[in-house]
Amino acid sequence: MQVFKLYMKIIRRNIPIMLVYVITFLVVALIMSSSMVKEQKKVASFERTKSKVAFIAEENSPLIDGFREELGKIANFIELPDETEALQDALYFRKVSYILRIPKGFTEGFMKGENVQMEKTVVPDSFSNAYIDLCIDKYFNTARLYINQMKGITQESLVQSLRLDLSESASVEVKTYGDEPADYRYGNYFFNYLSYSLFAVIIQGMGVLMLVFNNQDLKRRNTCSPVSINSINLQFLLANLVFTISSWLIMVIFTICCSSVSFLIGNLVRGYEAISAISNVVTIGPCFISGAFVPQELLGESVLRIASFTPTYWYVKANNQIAQLTRFGLLAFFAVSLVVVKKRRFE
Amino acid sequence: MIINARNLVKRYGDLVALDHLSFSVKEGEIFGLLGPNGSGKTTAINCILSLLKYDNGEVEIFGETMTPDAYHIKRNIGIVMQNVAVYNELTVYENIDYFCGLYVRDKNLKKRLVDEAVEFVGLNEFTRFYPKKLSGGLLRRLNIACGFAHRPKLIIMDEPTVAIDPQSRNRILEGILELNREGATIIYTSHYMEEVEKICSRIMILDKGKAIATGTKDELKAMITLGEKITVESYGVTEEQLKRMRSLPNIVSVDYRDQVLEVKSGKGKNNLETVLDFIKKEGIQFGKIYCELPTLNDVFLELTGKELRD
Repeated sequence: MQVFKLYMKIIRRNIPIMLVYVITFLVVALIMSSSMVKEQKKVASFERTKSKVAFIAEENSPLIDGFREELGKIANFIELPDETEALQDALYFRKVSYILRIPKGFTEGFMKGENVQMEKTVVPDSFSNAYIDLCIDKYFNTARLYINQMKGITQESLVQSLRLDLSESASVEVKTYGDEPADYRYGNYFFNYLSYSLFAVIIQGMGVLMLVFNNQDLKRRNTCSPVSINSINLQFLLANLVFTISSWLIMVIFTICCSSVSFLIGNLVRGYEAISAISNVVTIGPCFISGAFVPQELLGESVLRIASFTPTYWYVKANNQIAQLTRFGLLAFFAVSLVVVKKRRFE
Repeated sequence: MIINARNLVKRYGDLVALDHLSFSVKEGEIFGLLGPNGSGKTTAINCILSLLKYDNGEVEIFGETMTPDAYHIKRNIGIVMQNVAVYNELTVYENIDYFCGLYVRDKNLKKRLVDEAVEFVGLNEFTRFYPKKLSGGLLRRLNIACGFAHRPKLIIMDEPTVAIDPQSRNRILEGILELNREGATIIYTSHYMEEVEKICSRIMILDKGKAIATGTKDELKAMITLGEKITVESYGVTEEQLKRMRSLPNIVSVDYRDQVLEVKSGKGKNNLETVLDFIKKEGIQFGKIYCELPTLNDVFLELTGKELRD
């Protein structure tokens, strides 16, 4: 079993390099997965945000006060001097994203049913501005409805009615990714990111081995020995299996696919430096398109179709399903049960 | 006979690497394969070891036909490749242990043999070193130790001293003689004629895949007409004097260049006396005088018309 022992020695010698990959990517996986879980929590819950608004009213009236009160639910009012340059600066430096000016005579005209206008100056393409617009429209459209239907309504009773109407709220259920339940756990993300490091480790380990065993001089030297080629190949195969199965114990089918790719790479490359480069290219590519870094639900259909030819895709997919099925505590219990059953059988 | 190779022919396309090469190696001898680079030495070794398929011929080792799966024959052969063939991931000790372990299963015996090999090549202080940390000379010694640690009957060494310092080379050559004294038959290939001349009991000179001469160094030197080479530092030798010198008895050639007179004479006695008498008689001023016996390079030169290191 000289060749087998040699294989294991070379693997042991390469453990530090593999550990660099493992530790680096474990740390990255931990950080990324924990941040993804936080991100997911944010997406799964609803939180009202407030925009910064400069509210400039050139007149005071109960209607304007009521409006200001309503707008205050979704806006933080920033006090600014009513000077063109100061207002422009405030927008430019994002001190406010919305400047609303209510001109003199607005209330009177509005109460008479005239077509009156407010002035707005905004930061372009800001989603929060659309939210303010909606609020303004909702307030004054409802007010217009009351004015049209209840002739002679006072500003005070109008504001009171509006306050009552607009205090109604609807319960909101947030659904993410269309029809997929947003129930990914920490371990789910962790294992998805781990796919990269595992793939890299196996390529690194087996690639180096293939380089060593494919060295022409060493091959010839071994051929001169009384150990048959069949025996050498058998020992090599056995050692390969031990290495692969050791990894497989952690990552099941995923590693075998990786091993095949690693084996291929190890046979194709001719330099140690090339292994690192290729392992990065080969691992990062599938990780990106398979959903290790970005959830599969966010990837396009064609991308996923291409990704389905890579082992990473199936690994991530399986991971996602496992995460939905059970918690890892159950898996641990299952593993312990298997060991106990096996032990009893031996006894 | 330890090795009997008959009519080996190996072609690489149009190039004939071995051209009906035949030779035999007797038990207990150091058999040298001498020839310039590309003469077919390594090809011959590879064919003997069945590492290469040859187009024609037959190889017998220990009286049996050598084939790629003749593992019982391989068990008694040690090989030291031209290129250092060791694992960079293993230490010096682990490398020797690995290669010895390919031949020896018994753990205690293997340990003893590995320790002996380490001692033999003088790598005791470097057993925990990795090959990349070794100098060229030490690396070659490791390569040799990996080749003979299992104490084979036949050791084949393919240019084991290429690109190393003279000190390491001498140590390796002494080691080879020691292995031979302990009973190993050795095939030694080199393009360094001094090495081959120093350690080999029988030599085969190869050129373009053909054996152009085989024998002991004395037998090889006896094949050529050159008896001795006399070199004289001399001044103002004229063409007339050179012509007269060439007509002296037993003189093969006379050459005068850069105030050095080189006279080659045939086999026989008193050649030096004849030359000195002539110089005195002609009144030629002279300085140092050297007299050398022919080398293997002279043999190669006379047989092929070119220098061994051309």
